Amino acid sequence: MSTPVNRDQIKRMLKARKSRMKRYLSHCMHCGVCAESCFLYMKNDKDPQYLPSYKVLNSLGKLYKKGGRVDRAFLLKIKPIVWKNCVLCRRCYCPVGVDVPAMIAFARSICRSQGVYPEETQSWL
Amino acid sequence: MMAQFVLFIKGPMVWIAFGVFFGGLVVQAWRFISVTRKKDPDYLPGAPKKKKNKKKKTKKTLGKAVAKPKRKGIMERLQPLIRFADKSYDNLENSMFFTHPVVAVVSVIFHVFLFVTPIFLLAHNELFRKAFGFSLPGLSDRTTDMLTIIFLMCGAFFLFRRIFTKRVRAITTLYDYLVLLVTLTPFITGFLAFRQWGDYQTVMIVHIVSGELMLIFIPFSKLGHMIYFFLYRLLIGSEYSFGQGKRAW
Repeated sequence: MSTPVNRDQIKRMLKARKSRMKRYLSHCMHCGVCAESCFLYMKNDKDPQYLPSYKVLNSLGKLYKKGGRVDRAFLLKIKPIVWKNCVLCRRCYCPVGVDVPAMIAFARSICRSQGVYPEETQSWL
Repeated sequence: MMAQFVLFIKGPMVWIAFGVFFGGLVVQAWRFISVTRKKDPDYLPGAPKKKKNKKKKTKKTLGKAVAKPKRKGIMERLQPLIRFADKSYDNLENSMFFTHPVVAVVSVIFHVFLFVTPIFLLAHNELFRKAFGFSLPGLSDRTTDMLTIIFLMCGAFFLFRRIFTKRVRAITTLYDYLVLLVTLTPFITGFLAFRQWGDYQTVMIVHIVSGELMLIFIPFSKLGHMIYFFLYRLLIGSEYSFGQGKRAW
């Protein structure tokens, strides 16, 4: 797992959907209304970690903030956020209308491209 | 020097601010629409595309077997409407007004007063008449004063919510406070100016400058949700979309 990440690939992926994803990110008003629409948030004692906007801002938001200059440790840090804390059920309610699951899914694709995905899926197969 | 500065912010700066405001909104809206014109790609980049041919064939054979439908009766014609009303009620139950009643009501009041107060203020309309020769109907000074107080209370609610609610604090950055400050400053200074509290000249300068800065700030910041809010509703296919949300996700 200690192989270095392919930064160029991450940068390319980020750039390909930048115009859309950066807009979504910047349109989040940080109001926290999406909280109750997330069943994982409700089932985990209302832990802010499960807030849809928190998940997005701390995964894809940070990826864009760093401009793709990340290491494997960072990807491993956001791995539980995008793979475990969200199931992509697409029920998150955003009063502005930001597409939260699309951003999580995109963060997942970036993680997957670098081989960062839950091992459990391999044992299922 | 000071007099020149005051003249500048009272004259050309107002026009610049409004120009940037309207121009910026149009440009941002246009760019947003052009960016979202194409549908978002499928979540899985390698997902196989659906074959359309097979579907068509089955449809054709079905169409031959089933007799042509008769003209619909009035109740049948009304069915979609009834279903829509039924669905709308169900959706209302899941909406923000049921899940977050206080936040929803406060934000509605906040946003309505944000527009109503400055637009229908008597003193603003006097300036408007000077510039254009006509004015909008004005609310009385007492009414706008009350609206301002309620508006500021709603703003304080948002501020306290940001500070004291755990989940909101988790995602709050300095930028969010800046946005709130930019929105509230013109109202606070306007309130002070109306009461003639503090040094009138200074308060008035801060009032004008902050108002102009807010107008310039809107299209290029989170405050742009003034238009994005409506544009997003054309894009999303969800309970709270306008139209059918066919354009994207």
